[in-house]
Amino acid sequence: MTKTSTISPPKSSGFWREAWHRYRKRRLSMLALAFVGMLAVVAIAAPMIAGTKPIVCRFQGHIYFPCLGYYNPSWENPIFRAADVYPDYAAKLKQADPDSWAVYPLVFQDPYHRVRADEWPGRPGNPWGSEGTPSAQNYFGTTNVGYDVFAQMVHGTQIAMSVGFVSMGIAALIGITVGALAGYFGGWVDILLSRLIEVVMCVPTLVLILVLVAFLDNVTNWHLMAVIGCVSWTGIARLTRAEFLKLKQMEFVAAARAVGASPLRIMFRHMLRNALAPVLVPISFGIASAILVEASLSFLGFGASPPNPSWGTLLHAGQNDIEKMWWLIVFPGVAIFLTVLAYNLIGEGLQEATDPRLRQDSH
Amino acid sequence: MSFSPRPPARLLATPPVWIVALVLVVAGCSRSEPVAQPEEEGAAGAESESTDEPFKLGNAVEPFDPPSRDELEQVEWIDRPVIASDASLRAAKEASGPPEITAAEALKMHNDSAEDNRKILGALSQLAPEDGAGVDYDATIVRHVTGDIGSTNPLFASSVTDAELGDLTSFSPLSFDQNLEYFGPAERIVSWQSSADGTMDRIVLRDDLVWSDGKPLTAHDIEFTFRAIMTDHPLLVIPAVRSDVEHLKAVVAYDDQTVVYFHKEPTAVAYKNVLFPVLPKHVYEKTLPEDPSMRRSAAHSDLEDHPVSCGPYELTKRKKGEEFVVRRRESWYMHDGRQVRPKPYFAEVRVKIIEDANTALLALREGDIHSMELRAEQWTSQTNDERFYRLNTKVYGTEWTEFHFVWNQQTPYFKDSRVRWAMTYAFDYNELLNVICRGLYEQSVGTYHPASWMFPHDGPEPVKQDLQRAKALLDEAGWIDSDGDGFRDKEVEFEIKEEVDGETKTRIVRRRIPFEFVLMTYSSESGIQAATLMKECLDRIGVICHVKPTEFAAMQEANLEKSFDACMGGWGAGADPDTNVNIFGTGATRNYGSYSNSEVDRLFVEGRKEFDPEKRAAIYGRIHNLMWEDQPYTWLFYRSGFFAFNKRLRGYNYSPRGPLSYSPGFEAIYATGALP
Repeated sequence: MTKTSTISPPKSSGFWREAWHRYRKRRLSMLALAFVGMLAVVAIAAPMIAGTKPIVCRFQGHIYFPCLGYYNPSWENPIFRAADVYPDYAAKLKQADPDSWAVYPLVFQDPYHRVRADEWPGRPGNPWGSEGTPSAQNYFGTTNVGYDVFAQMVHGTQIAMSVGFVSMGIAALIGITVGALAGYFGGWVDILLSRLIEVVMCVPTLVLILVLVAFLDNVTNWHLMAVIGCVSWTGIARLTRAEFLKLKQMEFVAAARAVGASPLRIMFRHMLRNALAPVLVPISFGIASAILVEASLSFLGFGASPPNPSWGTLLHAGQNDIEKMWWLIVFPGVAIFLTVLAYNLIGEGLQEATDPRLRQDSH
Repeated sequence: MSFSPRPPARLLATPPVWIVALVLVVAGCSRSEPVAQPEEEGAAGAESESTDEPFKLGNAVEPFDPPSRDELEQVEWIDRPVIASDASLRAAKEASGPPEITAAEALKMHNDSAEDNRKILGALSQLAPEDGAGVDYDATIVRHVTGDIGSTNPLFASSVTDAELGDLTSFSPLSFDQNLEYFGPAERIVSWQSSADGTMDRIVLRDDLVWSDGKPLTAHDIEFTFRAIMTDHPLLVIPAVRSDVEHLKAVVAYDDQTVVYFHKEPTAVAYKNVLFPVLPKHVYEKTLPEDPSMRRSAAHSDLEDHPVSCGPYELTKRKKGEEFVVRRRESWYMHDGRQVRPKPYFAEVRVKIIEDANTALLALREGDIHSMELRAEQWTSQTNDERFYRLNTKVYGTEWTEFHFVWNQQTPYFKDSRVRWAMTYAFDYNELLNVICRGLYEQSVGTYHPASWMFPHDGPEPVKQDLQRAKALLDEAGWIDSDGDGFRDKEVEFEIKEEVDGETKTRIVRRRIPFEFVLMTYSSESGIQAATLMKECLDRIGVICHVKPTEFAAMQEANLEKSFDACMGGWGAGADPDTNVNIFGTGATRNYGSYSNSEVDRLFVEGRKEFDPEKRAAIYGRIHNLMWEDQPYTWLFYRSGFFAFNKRLRGYNYSPRGPLSYSPGFEAIYATGALP
């Protein structure tokens, strides 16, 4: 055995690892990421944090998870309706089955109705109007009609998070596909798709949503997400197109083509991963603006059909009594502000982490 | 001064009240009676038709040979009351005795309870002495409305604001008092008689009435206006006024003062036919043939800006979207150098148009406006501090305005009265009245108000929420959870029309559908809250309800087309219970839910022909109870009227239609000292 050279060239840590390394150095962006992570946890676990339906319960010998009804009404077992327990689990479960037990969410409050007296045995009902100041029973106070603001905020997180992710998911899917096709093929494909992009850019999101709301009988947040997603992909498409125009001149693309790779393979396997970094930035900013659009729609009263515990709805409820009921403005206002700020910080961090020209150590 | 009723609210640009009150069925006053079609539609239709058709005044009047003067003298006449406009109210105030506290004490109080309200209203509702002592006749009052005037021509009046202007400037031979009882106002007429057989009404006008241009108002003006309204011409579109006037055979002026109205058939509500607005003949007999639309010619647009009117006030300024101003008319109360009528209390009335209720409240606090109608939430939470009480005080009174959910019986869900009763039993009235309505309203028990004369002695009791009963009723009606998903469903028959070989065949298809419907509601906060509460309640009994807040005009359209499942609505009181035939009669335009009960239809006809007040009351009481059994609506509550008034104002009294819209109403309000 002969000893070969012990000096080996330093292994490249790869683009993404390097970007992450640089991103981690930005404390504000990291804080923002942690905040969004926390929101995601709150959103997913919302029915376990605030609600009036047991997280898990044993009823007539079986285990049920009634809190799933908050995600989708059909996931709540109809046996409770048949047994006349629904929706007063806390008061009626024991009566219907003395052997039953149940684990309730951390906060016994509901985003969809006012908790009445004795709904939780022995507890008074929620106050309403200007009486509903923040208290031990209602951490963030109550609305004009006694809905718990904390419960609405927690469940509203679901809406804010899903609006951001789903609408930008749709936008990214459309935007990247259109941009990639336009950039890679060029020529008349590019001309056609570019005109399409310009046409879609002219469609005002708010107006489109107002039209949609007028036509639909039951507007859900999914409708809003679909509309926002379908009109906000243009920026992403333009960036992707520009990247692809640049990348298709590169040697590795020529090489891939030379070995006979199909256009789809070249586009999505070889070029896209190189084009993705600049595209992530508008997606991140887009999430922030999608959240703002949803909040402003709800604030104007054109959001999803009531009861819709979104942050914007709370702001809407607070606008008439702004002098007395400050808690209807402050808590959701802060939540919207922080979330949008967080996404913007993440976007900025991504931008600087992935742009080689902005690297501190590149000089 | 006549206080015309609130007009059809479907034409309102902006909702005037807390929850948009559909004050569609209104006191028997011609100009606001139900309209077959919205004006805009009619106008558009007219455009396409020939517009050069010659104008023939009164071509829709059926040929009629009026009896001679002597023949009229042979008729047996019954005298109807002719009294001063404020006589009835004055008598009522006198009977109720002196107020518990003085006005000064009342102004120091805050209105926090029913007792406070009674005391404050008692003190501040005192009328000015008949000699006018203590009244500041130089005062200007600034009032508030939520929408602009549509037209200053009374034949086109359609919005609440048009009615406000009409109250101040128009002439009407009859008025109704705080009990909604009709009388002839002595300021305008000398006598009012009805023929014993009910086919004629004879009114003698005073001879000292003058138009704002100085020409006398005579019986010929009334006859002319009748003929103008009864003119068929594609350009002349005035369906609102026309619908009542059509009940008249003829209107004949026998001399300058005497006018006789000939009714097509005798009814207990024949006086309604008399109430159409009056136009000056000397002006319109020239301009009308030139421009039958009354909107286009230079002369008519000049009249639109400077109308010739015959009310206590005349229009002096109009700023579109901002305000209009009327000034006291000297020729109204002075004639030949002496005072012939009481002098109106204000030198000038400015009416400001402010759409947003919060903005209006800010203006009120600053003293920029002197009176406004408050929303319920404003009453409870925004008018309790010193900033409000510095210049203002507030009062409330019960109005006969009810709110409800109307169930569309053309849908497969609500055909069965058991289902409608289930909806009624499912609703949580406690939560509605105490939380959403802040304990300010009383629960509704049907179409007529319990304080009205037509309410039955054995009237229904308020319903309490009873979910078990609601469930049982739905089970009985066949709405059960057959597929075990927790929600009710039922196999329903559908009629499907299809064309086979050019023939239309009806096929009946049975399909199982879930009980899932859309509840339309006002886009106001409380409208949404009430509907959302219904959704919550229905969820408990396995019914899926989607709440759809709808803008007012869109909602009206859906109502008229009957393209809805269920809808929140409200009706103001008519001065006569007969007006409700327009909402509950089979096939009536405003019968949005397609309710039909032949017995109710029959009773409405009977009630119209019955002259004995007690028997009439019994008939309408029976209608009330029959409809309660059928539950075409789920009746929710009667809305009170909340008003804020500047502290210098006195003399406001409530009628079932609020403190302004009756006689004397606004006319009795006066200012002490100068308004700030």
